[in-house]
Amino acid sequence: MTPTALRRSYVESTSRERIAALADPGSFREILDPFARCSSPYLAEQGVVAQRDDGVVVGRALLGGRDVAAVAVDGRFLGGSIGEIGGAKIARVLERARDGAFLLLDTGGIRLQEANLGLLAIAEICDAIVALRERAPVVAVVAGRVGCYGGMSVAAALCSQIIMSPVGRFGLNGPEVVEQEAGIEELDARDRPAIWQATGGVRRVGQGHADVLVEDDLDELARALRDAFRASPNRERLSLERLRNRFAQEAPR
Amino acid sequence: MRGAIWARALLEGARAAGGFPESVVVRDGTIAGQAYRAIAVVPHSGARFPRARAGEFGLDEGIGVAEAVRDAPPDAAIVSIVDVPGQAFGRREEAAGLHLSLAAAVEAYIGERRRGRQLFSLIVGKAISGAFLAHGMQSGWIGALDDGGIEVHVMPAASVARVTRSSDDEVARIATVVPATARDVATFARFGALDAVFDVADPLAPAAGEIERVRTAIDRARRAQLGTRAPVERLQSPAAHAHRALAREVRRRVDQAW
Repeated sequence: MTPTALRRSYVESTSRERIAALADPGSFREILDPFARCSSPYLAEQGVVAQRDDGVVVGRALLGGRDVAAVAVDGRFLGGSIGEIGGAKIARVLERARDGAFLLLDTGGIRLQEANLGLLAIAEICDAIVALRERAPVVAVVAGRVGCYGGMSVAAALCSQIIMSPVGRFGLNGPEVVEQEAGIEELDARDRPAIWQATGGVRRVGQGHADVLVEDDLDELARALRDAFRASPNRERLSLERLRNRFAQEAPR
Repeated sequence: MRGAIWARALLEGARAAGGFPESVVVRDGTIAGQAYRAIAVVPHSGARFPRARAGEFGLDEGIGVAEAVRDAPPDAAIVSIVDVPGQAFGRREEAAGLHLSLAAAVEAYIGERRRGRQLFSLIVGKAISGAFLAHGMQSGWIGALDDGGIEVHVMPAASVARVTRSSDDEVARIATVVPATARDVATFARFGALDAVFDVADPLAPAAGEIERVRTAIDRARRAQLGTRAPVERLQSPAAHAHRALAREVRRRVDQAW
């Protein structure tokens, strides 16, 4: 047992710290790092300060000796949203990856400020995930404060394995969006316990919508990630029969 | 309305395929003698999930579309008729896992395309957000009617103003300086996302000649095998060279460093 004080929290770490802790030690090589100055030209006009990595860290790493693509979306920058640059980074490393990929997804989905460019990129990301997973593991980790929503929740659902922590939430529409679109009588976005209970990691793994539940601990996650790379892909997750049964339980009577 | 009308009109000798939710219209027919399956998500006031009664892409719709795609006749190409106002926004949907329903549709489309089935999309109304991602965006060829009622975006217009705490005027102004946030067909076409745009006087009552032009374009695209192209191939178009230059540059730099 590791004393709690020595735990390294995933939630409290940055994207680069997360990748460094999960990949084989010293193996991560970032591509288009902040010194490449690849930042969104669309944000200043909309009153937002751009970030030099566009909130998305990608590169090549070893995982248990495999040559993989590493992706981390930083929920602290614009809700971990995907725009033209971040989307192209993710899509291209997934297309190039040799022995698999892992994606640390703390993302609200498509970036509103780059709307249709984000949409086009996520269609490419979905295709790249399906192409890659036919020959190698593609593992998603949903364990950050933002969770995984919007177009990226669809992309994550296509992965061979999904690891979650109790902190992570996994759904299509975030609670604020549902409240706004359907009204507070449909869903109260401030009711945090109810939201985590319905869409958090414990529930998602319990439903079979995600595969593995781990605590908010980088060492534990690193082990789970290696196990997920060895596990056979979950082909049952998107089986229509399974989904039909699951959805029937939520149908109004 | 538009989705159902075009799903009915587009194919010759079409008959309805059964076994799908009433909100998923599936019709098998032909264009120029070749088999097609048209699929549309349409409003259905009796849908069991209340948040998916106005044509939204909900739990049952994702499963229905996925099944229609996977179980299409072996020789049929698929035409996704796109008129989707968005995904279903609801508490039940999120608890059940709506994203998986969309992913099932995406997986079905990608899987069939990768096995060689040609996929075409025709945008006849709204193409919004996750709903469009799950129904239409994985096609190798995408056409759209050129009409003021067409909208391509990631969020309904009123919601954008609320989320960004801007006025409608400000949202409209930004769309003129940041084209990615615009909603019209011409701007979406600038990104190389569309293969054809069709003039139609009244999308709710297309004339025979107008339908024929769409059929001809789809038939040509099928003969050229365009329906099996992956989304990434859109970046090769001249329009994408001009207006997705940044995505192309990022990809090039990733390749250099890989």
